[in-house]
Amino acid sequence: MKKIIGLVVNPVAGMGGSVGLKGTDGKMYKKALELGAKPGTPLRTKDVLSHIKNKDRITLLVASGKMGEEYVKDSGIPFAVIGTVGEETSAEDTKKIAGEMLTDGIEMLVFVGGDGTARDICDAIGLRIPTVAVPAGVKVFSSVFTVSARAAAEMVDAFVKSTDVTEEEVLDIDEEAFRGGRLASKLYGYLLVPNTKRFLQAGKEASGMSKSSIENKKESASYIAEQMDKKTLYLLGPGTTLKAIADEIGIPKTLLGIDAVFAKKLVGTDLNEKGILNLFERYKRKKIIVTPIGGNGFIFGRGSKQFTPDVIKQVGKENIMVVGTRDKLSKLDCLRVDTGDLEVDRTLSGYTEATIGYKEGMMVKIKC
Amino acid sequence: MNEVPYPPPKKIIEAAQRGLSHLNRYAEPKELEWLQGLLADYSGVSKKHVVLSPGSNLLLREAIHGFSKGRKVITVSPSFLPTIQAAKQFATKLVTIRLSPPEFDLDPELVMDMLNEPSLMIIDNPNNPTGNILLDRKMVEAIVENTDILLVIDEAYYEFSKETFVGMVQDHPNLAITRTMDKAFSLAGARIGYLVAGEAFLDAFSSLYAILPRSSLYAAIEALNNPDYMRDNVTLVIKERERLRKSLNKLGVHVYPSSTNFLLIKTKILDIAKRFKDIGVLISDLSSQLSPGFIRVSIGTREENDVFIAGYTKILEACT
Repeated sequence: MKKIIGLVVNPVAGMGGSVGLKGTDGKMYKKALELGAKPGTPLRTKDVLSHIKNKDRITLLVASGKMGEEYVKDSGIPFAVIGTVGEETSAEDTKKIAGEMLTDGIEMLVFVGGDGTARDICDAIGLRIPTVAVPAGVKVFSSVFTVSARAAAEMVDAFVKSTDVTEEEVLDIDEEAFRGGRLASKLYGYLLVPNTKRFLQAGKEASGMSKSSIENKKESASYIAEQMDKKTLYLLGPGTTLKAIADEIGIPKTLLGIDAVFAKKLVGTDLNEKGILNLFERYKRKKIIVTPIGGNGFIFGRGSKQFTPDVIKQVGKENIMVVGTRDKLSKLDCLRVDTGDLEVDRTLSGYTEATIGYKEGMMVKIKC
Repeated sequence: MNEVPYPPPKKIIEAAQRGLSHLNRYAEPKELEWLQGLLADYSGVSKKHVVLSPGSNLLLREAIHGFSKGRKVITVSPSFLPTIQAAKQFATKLVTIRLSPPEFDLDPELVMDMLNEPSLMIIDNPNNPTGNILLDRKMVEAIVENTDILLVIDEAYYEFSKETFVGMVQDHPNLAITRTMDKAFSLAGARIGYLVAGEAFLDAFSSLYAILPRSSLYAAIEALNNPDYMRDNVTLVIKERERLRKSLNKLGVHVYPSSTNFLLIKTKILDIAKRFKDIGVLISDLSSQLSPGFIRVSIGTREENDVFIAGYTKILEACT
């Protein structure tokens, strides 16, 4: 049985980069055109399709015109076209077409673009089906992206042969700040991707360490859950690693929010600073559990603004627990904090032991 | 796998062949003791401190198996993967210390802070895969002064780094050194590893009586009786290593200093290991241990290194 795979291409992704702009969000697309920018996604899309080995085992459902159709004609892969797009494409087109593809029963979605496109796909399909994110934008900081077009093709092949999936982060990059030379990113959401790390790595260095990140998260979650003291309030930060802890305890978790747990029972959901401080009046002993954002390593200040300097001060550095997969932590040079209060940032700086598996920790430096 | 590319001299191959002609027999205890004595002389310690093994990774595994009950295992990350795998399997708790670029240094203050409970500490010095020296005498002395701590230093690349703490073993019962003849002696296929162990380790290792294959045993004895070729190997490898480093620097590639027979490289081409594989060159992709773009390259013959440089040039051209 052939797999039905969707393909959505953001035809303007990456155009800003070639002419020195830091993205094509909003009116920047027109400016890029005026400066003579040429689209880079056609070549990238054709590159991915040419490297897919199991062409006879898939059928593509593609967006019309330059959002997909134009690049698949000579690929040797059977395809059908969905929707219509005008001369100028927008984020709304991406969301609308991805949504329609989902309704039409695609089993996986390949998209070509940057962080902005990833956010649109996140809005449209969430965690319902796996995706393969092909990097073609100016900003590709989200860990959801593959390292290359070839790696993307390998992911498609792995999916066809059947593989497990894992969640990867989609970041929201502030394009205005980025143009000003500052990387201001926060966690936007998650997409599912085929867990094909073992296909992308070779040799002795990877042998025996290729436990999937899902298993790794479960291991860490199980260890943390075992260590949880019944007389302490735990604030679980955003992220799937923290959700794994909630799953282990058997409670629901707001994926992008902060939830509170006491005696393994949920006592606060999607809390803001006020909600957290209110809980502090009832619970004396408290701990924060956070996971770093993949790629940049922030544990505070990006995607979890509810952990304000006041909240962090009241909890204390010694009561902050960091948890992450071995893979994610190994790829980070350090952990980072940017709470907006330099004194708090300095207090948090130094080494911390992050839980990266069952009874396994890693001493990592926190920098501000 | 960081082998030396030069085969051993003819005399060593002939010695191994002599061993093969006795394949129906185990090695004699006196032959094993002979090798033990030669390794003791080579290391400058008395014979009782030397434990033989088919490969030093088994000694590291045995140390973790034997000494991790009730002790935390502390090591560094990245590190020699079999050590981490064994620690994950046997240790009551494993804590790794993240070595971060650009220096990949081990922070002495952090190390001392971590030694507040009985622990088995295993450090590869130089470190694999960074090639960096992590320990100095002052740090080793400070660690072994705490008798609740057992320290194992993996000196697999000692002949290239010339840095060793083997001389401290006789005075410090809680110190042990693992070494190998796989690398500088060109004997990877013979698998001769050895431990130079302080008194605290010796009891546990007394039951590990490794009967080595005669071919390996005879080759190792011949190598230790005539070790000049090993010194030539080291000189050649270091010369090639530095030539390769300079050539890569000229290409604008970031190469880290190395005290071993391999180089750590940081590249912006994230799928470079795959690109090299496609042109028939195998390198080690470290993206599961360090941030994406890190690779480790073993030093080959001059011709092999030239193929690598030419391949790198082509890949760079294709990516720009």
